[in-house]
Amino acid sequence: MTRAQRKEHRSQRVARPAVIFVSFVLSFVPLVSVAPKAGIVIAARPGSIRGRVEVRRPAAVVERRPGVADLGTPAGRDVPNLLRSVVYLESAPRGAFETSEGGHAVMDQRNETFVPHVLAITTGTTVDFPNSDKFYHNVFSLSKTRPFDLGRYATGASRPVRFDRAGIVRVFCDIHSHMNAYILVFNHPFFAMTDAEGRYRIENVPPGSYGVIAWNEGTSSEARPITVADGGVAELDFTLR
Amino acid sequence: MTGLSRIARLALLLVVCAVRLADAQVLPSEPIALANGRVIVSGDLSAAYGSADPGFFNFTDYEHSTLRLFRVDLTAAVKAGPHFTLLGEIRTENLGKVRPYALYLRIRPWTTRDFDIQVGRVPPTFGAFARRTYANDNPLIGYPLAYQYLTTLRPDALPASADELLRKRSIGWLVRYSLGDPALDHGVPLVSAFRWDTGVQAHTTVGILSATAAVTTGTVSNPLFSDDNHGRQLAGRVELRPVAGMVLGTSLARGPFISQAAARAALGDAQDAEFMQTAWGGDAEYSRDHYLLRLETIVSRWQVPIAAAPPSQIALQTPLGAFSTSLEGRYKLRPDLYVAARYDHLGFSDETGAAGTLPWDAPVTRVEIAAGYSIQRNLLLKIAVQHNDRDGGVLQQVAHMFAAQLVFWF
Repeated sequence: MTRAQRKEHRSQRVARPAVIFVSFVLSFVPLVSVAPKAGIVIAARPGSIRGRVEVRRPAAVVERRPGVADLGTPAGRDVPNLLRSVVYLESAPRGAFETSEGGHAVMDQRNETFVPHVLAITTGTTVDFPNSDKFYHNVFSLSKTRPFDLGRYATGASRPVRFDRAGIVRVFCDIHSHMNAYILVFNHPFFAMTDAEGRYRIENVPPGSYGVIAWNEGTSSEARPITVADGGVAELDFTLR
Repeated sequence: MTGLSRIARLALLLVVCAVRLADAQVLPSEPIALANGRVIVSGDLSAAYGSADPGFFNFTDYEHSTLRLFRVDLTAAVKAGPHFTLLGEIRTENLGKVRPYALYLRIRPWTTRDFDIQVGRVPPTFGAFARRTYANDNPLIGYPLAYQYLTTLRPDALPASADELLRKRSIGWLVRYSLGDPALDHGVPLVSAFRWDTGVQAHTTVGILSATAAVTTGTVSNPLFSDDNHGRQLAGRVELRPVAGMVLGTSLARGPFISQAAARAALGDAQDAEFMQTAWGGDAEYSRDHYLLRLETIVSRWQVPIAAAPPSQIALQTPLGAFSTSLEGRYKLRPDLYVAARYDHLGFSDETGAAGTLPWDAPVTRVEIAAGYSIQRNLLLKIAVQHNDRDGGVLQQVAHMFAAQLVFWF
């Protein structure tokens, strides 16, 4: 890959949230359809998209740095599940936000691991970061989408961060360098996390044609086209390498 | 091209390359795991360039100043089952010789108990700063005086009198004495942060208390791989963590410091006494929200052989004492920006020579203020200003210095 290609590829990845936003503004997929008979307006029934994401080459767990200067073996920690993926519409139907309200989500700090490791939320959501360990953590992010630094706080305490811009936020702990997590912020509600078997289901998708993307640990698929029929279920599987 | 300008160009080149590579996300950001995670390799690179230091305030030996230092550390851990881990680190400074900094075996006899034994070139038991000397652990560029400043005391060469010792005040970076090794060499700091000792170390944690004990070849001032006096140092450290964010520690170390060859040069071949270094340290750390405070005090005493003083000179009075206090703080202004400061003082006990009574080395006070900007999570740019004040001695007594440092780690 040439330098220019790399740059373009990177800019595409960075720009994807922006694309989502622009598409959201510009796209026009009517949420209601007008029946041809006698001026009766019939609401189109939303459909869904379901399928499976297979992660062929899972990302490696970030290892703890060799503690050469430590006086003993560091305490054990949990290992995050890196197989959970996020599947989302590349562009959202118009009006997608008319019913969207920012809610609350939680990303816990437990056994030197962020739980969950991946969080998918809509803009306007406030994420609480409780500390469930007996020692300090210092959650921070240098992402352009939402830089923040919550400082150090003890067991049982929690601090919130509100996410108002779409994008990908990488979250770290300033004290434990192996702790990391992702927060994917969407400006539409059409996304889903995969379950333990890699299955997903995006509900309430208005009928229409879309591009669908699967994401896992910083790797994204190309947008795959799919058409959701009135009240129908569209099937789409992904393989991430 | 002089050595220094080479370092300056190298530092500049590194800054440009690192920023470009970071932007292109080419640099690794996590430790490298091999063999299904059984082998972990990580690295620390730092490049510092600052003002000239004619007063030798920041030198760690005759050639290296912490303000003009390019350092590469590679560390590795090899796990061999649940009970054994081999840990090692190699280091090069200013692209010089690659040296083994650490190499030891960590043994965990019972996997369910928080108890470890470490054998080999082990991390320092004594003090708090010695185990966080990596540039990304140090919010400033300079080091605390106790761990870096070279006193005029040498383990392998001795002054014949108090007058000879007092004449050498402030030139610990390169000093020569009339007894023992006649070559010019640097003196020792109170606690060496640049070399680890060799021996056996045991560590355990029970609740809020952790304790470490070690038997090693050298002393805290002069860690050794090969023994030079057939003596062993005993060191211990106890740490208490009463609440989250607070660490209270105390350390004690005692071991023979003067080499056998130097002692015999001073007292004759028949002597076999041990001349001990005894060091005590107390440290406290507290952090909360966006600030971090650290306080560390170290007191050290060295017994030295007292040779018959030459005519018209006054004999040494032993032991020689030194004490240091450093107070360090860091505050994060933004996720990518912090400010930090350290106040540091190093003092010495009095020694009486023919010309009067003076501290046996010139006391030094240092204030350093720094800011650190994270270009990315593991790429940090620091800038610092440093004021040094030395009370006496033959070298420059006051120095204001500026330095910048780029730190990358994975």
